[in-house]
Amino acid sequence: MNSLLEQAPLLAPLALGILAVWMLLPREGGRAWVIAGLCGLSAMLWLTRNFLPPTDNWVQTGMFYTFAAGAVLSAVMMITESNPVYAALWFALTTLSVCGLFLINAAPFLAAATVVVYAGAIVVTFLFVIMLAQQGGATGYDRKAFQPTLASIAGFMLLACLLFTLQEWGGKAAVAVEGEDAPPPRPQFVLPPAHVVTNPLSAPMPRQDKPDQNDLGTLQGVGRSLFGDYLFAVELAGTVLLIATIGTIALAPRRSQGTL
Amino acid sequence: MTAELQSQLVVGAILFVLGAIGFLTRRNLILMMLSAELMLHGVAVNLTAFGRYHGNASGQVFTIFVLTIAACEAGLALALILGLYQRRKSLDVHLWGNLGEPDLPQMSAEEGGRMAPQHPADMPTLTPAGRMPNSPVVPSNTKI
Repeated sequence: MNSLLEQAPLLAPLALGILAVWMLLPREGGRAWVIAGLCGLSAMLWLTRNFLPPTDNWVQTGMFYTFAAGAVLSAVMMITESNPVYAALWFALTTLSVCGLFLINAAPFLAAATVVVYAGAIVVTFLFVIMLAQQGGATGYDRKAFQPTLASIAGFMLLACLLFTLQEWGGKAAVAVEGEDAPPPRPQFVLPPAHVVTNPLSAPMPRQDKPDQNDLGTLQGVGRSLFGDYLFAVELAGTVLLIATIGTIALAPRRSQGTL
Repeated sequence: MTAELQSQLVVGAILFVLGAIGFLTRRNLILMMLSAELMLHGVAVNLTAFGRYHGNASGQVFTIFVLTIAACEAGLALALILGLYQRRKSLDVHLWGNLGEPDLPQMSAEEGGRMAPQHPADMPTLTPAGRMPNSPVVPSNTKI
């Protein structure tokens, strides 16, 4: 019980956030929007204070908070929206926010590629939603979630385990305890970058046009790694795409069977 | 740098868990697919954050592979959804709950289980392959 109480700064905001999601999930009757919104916002602020400390670079910190809050908020709105068209729109917003996070992670090519790929995917999903879901007017299965309590509890457990592990690694292990009865140093999950052996072609090299910068995240660096270290994986991915295309053509309904 | 990595991992974990909750609770087939894509987004944030932390391009390359698999998954899922919609004229995933074993209890959202009745037209049919051999067991005037 004491160890549970020690983890209150971790568990309490999680419980608040999951409670907000649980209250927002579609169900019969009204949903408590105001209470759920207050719970969710306080949970996000609390988690931000404990887990997402600001860094020195305030521009980067501000961008990170904006994109992270946008991604999480629109993800919550997506899974709790009872209208599938709006849910697809919220998913588009989540994708844009995640692309912003990619930009912070020095991956501009990846952000652009994700926007292009998911723009197509979301347009197709829109077509499907409008074609299939909106024909019979309002649908009952979108208005009532399936087992919201069980799913919320499962999500709470999973997130608590993930964040607890992260906290053990990032928070407490970072503080060096001095003294005789200091616990032995824990094995670290994630090696510091100096101890990691990089694949030879994935390591950043000086840029050709600007020799004082490295090419991490540029198209040149990504391409050298993709077609150098991971060439066989690229071939495998191409094979998987081909097989998926064949499977899609084989699975899609024929016109002779009547479309829709 | 470590604090930044930890923040990104927290955001990735939250996105993954939200996608999992959406996948478990939504009953619309299209929204279940979108929730799976949301889980992939959480993984992609993790991968690029680690790539940045380690200062190499491997994380971004892994994310490109995740993108590839997501594209395959979207194509296959939409083809399957079209086929399923053709049979039941609905996107409700629980109409397909009776694909399980018949002697197991069924978990349904509504009490009493509003499963659609099994029409014979709903059953998949196999196209006959080849010619029936002339066997003495089957009389020749039997219509196959």
